[in-house]
Amino acid sequence: MRDFDYLMPETVGEVSGLLARLGDDCRMIAGGTALLLALRQRMVTPTHLVSLARVRGLRGITYDPRDGLRIGALTTHAAVARSPLVRQRYPVLADMASRLANPQVRNQGTLGGNLCYADPTTDPPTCLAALEAMLVLGSARGYRYLPVTDFLVDYYASALEPDEVLTEIRIPAPRFDFGYHARFHRTAAEHRPLINLALLARRDGDVVGEARLVVGATTVVPTRVAAAEAVLAGRRVTAALAREAADIVAEAIDPVSDIRGGSAFRRDMVRVVARRTIERLVEQDSEGRIVA
Amino acid sequence: MSRVTIEVVVNGQPHRAEIPARRLLADFIRDDLFLTGTKRGCETGVCGACSVLLDGEVVKSCLSLAVQAEGHEITTVEGITSGGELHPLQASFAEHGGFQCGYCTPGMLMAAIAILNESPSPTEAEVRAGLSGNLCRCTGYVGIVESIMAAAEKMRGT
Repeated sequence: MRDFDYLMPETVGEVSGLLARLGDDCRMIAGGTALLLALRQRMVTPTHLVSLARVRGLRGITYDPRDGLRIGALTTHAAVARSPLVRQRYPVLADMASRLANPQVRNQGTLGGNLCYADPTTDPPTCLAALEAMLVLGSARGYRYLPVTDFLVDYYASALEPDEVLTEIRIPAPRFDFGYHARFHRTAAEHRPLINLALLARRDGDVVGEARLVVGATTVVPTRVAAAEAVLAGRRVTAALAREAADIVAEAIDPVSDIRGGSAFRRDMVRVVARRTIERLVEQDSEGRIVA
Repeated sequence: MSRVTIEVVVNGQPHRAEIPARRLLADFIRDDLFLTGTKRGCETGVCGACSVLLDGEVVKSCLSLAVQAEGHEITTVEGITSGGELHPLQASFAEHGGFQCGYCTPGMLMAAIAILNESPSPTEAEVRAGLSGNLCRCTGYVGIVESIMAAAEKMRGT
């Protein structure tokens, strides 16, 4: 790892000033789990690290019924998973966070750091896209608000301006009664999902009112599949409907193809994950078949 | 070389040190404090041999800078014994075959402490999930899981 200066500013304005001055020679560090790997492999060689640890106003989780949930960008995944507010109002988010990567990464890694690194092969972006999260970006110039789906623009690329800091993740008040964040790993020992899929729905018995379906990890950015949501809306959930919607999902996405999985394999697995996740909308027997 | 001064408490002992900003927490613990129980394994965040507790939560010290621990409390495997007595988890690992070569054991113990802090009566599935950031290439994990289940029972006093 190359030598660097370690700076510890205390306000968003100070961070922004340092970022503007130092440009590409510096990197922000939050939990550091992803950055340390990149530093050690010399994928990045900054002359300065700007620590967010002392910056005020980047922590805490609050909820109010009008504005929904606010999560400070420095909140760790473990804190999201443990939060009574998140567990009660957004169980899908708490469940996703509680299973993310491994305990060490959950204790150290932050939600804001995860989003800014824009690694497509992680869980939070997909889940947050389904929850229609809005991100708050601060700089010396002020604050702006961007939907998470506009923030994540490409493979390891976000819409964060060079002098901006992600300060907060906001999630609107919950309006779904079902939520599940599914993930598919190539092997049980792997921590990076090959595929993930978040499904939210409002239900009336076994009839879907409204659904929100987002696929990620296997696409460069989370992909909402509106055509599948439309097929589910107003229909009674049956095995046939789950297959029909899963086919639409599999055809709608543009999977990456790499050493971890070719695009045809990924598309097939997306089909399976989508079908199984949709079947969760209604009661299943011990074999995972829908109870008619 | 840019240097920083940090104050940390390690195994209950306050330390003040001037270190290079790029010093890894794992290297600070081993090379500056000579606490060599914490192991460097893969050094890429995969194997968990370097696991320590930071304010009671398990983290990988190869993926942390020492300067990030400034103002925090660290516990290493050297800090879990009391008065020369093995921690109940250590005794249980010895009794139930929780290790063979022993290289992963310090990290396994720190992960195990975190598991039992979270849930004093864990299920086997919870123990396995809690160990998902730690690799053992000898035991196949059965002995480790049994060691932790048995220690949990003993620590509950049942």
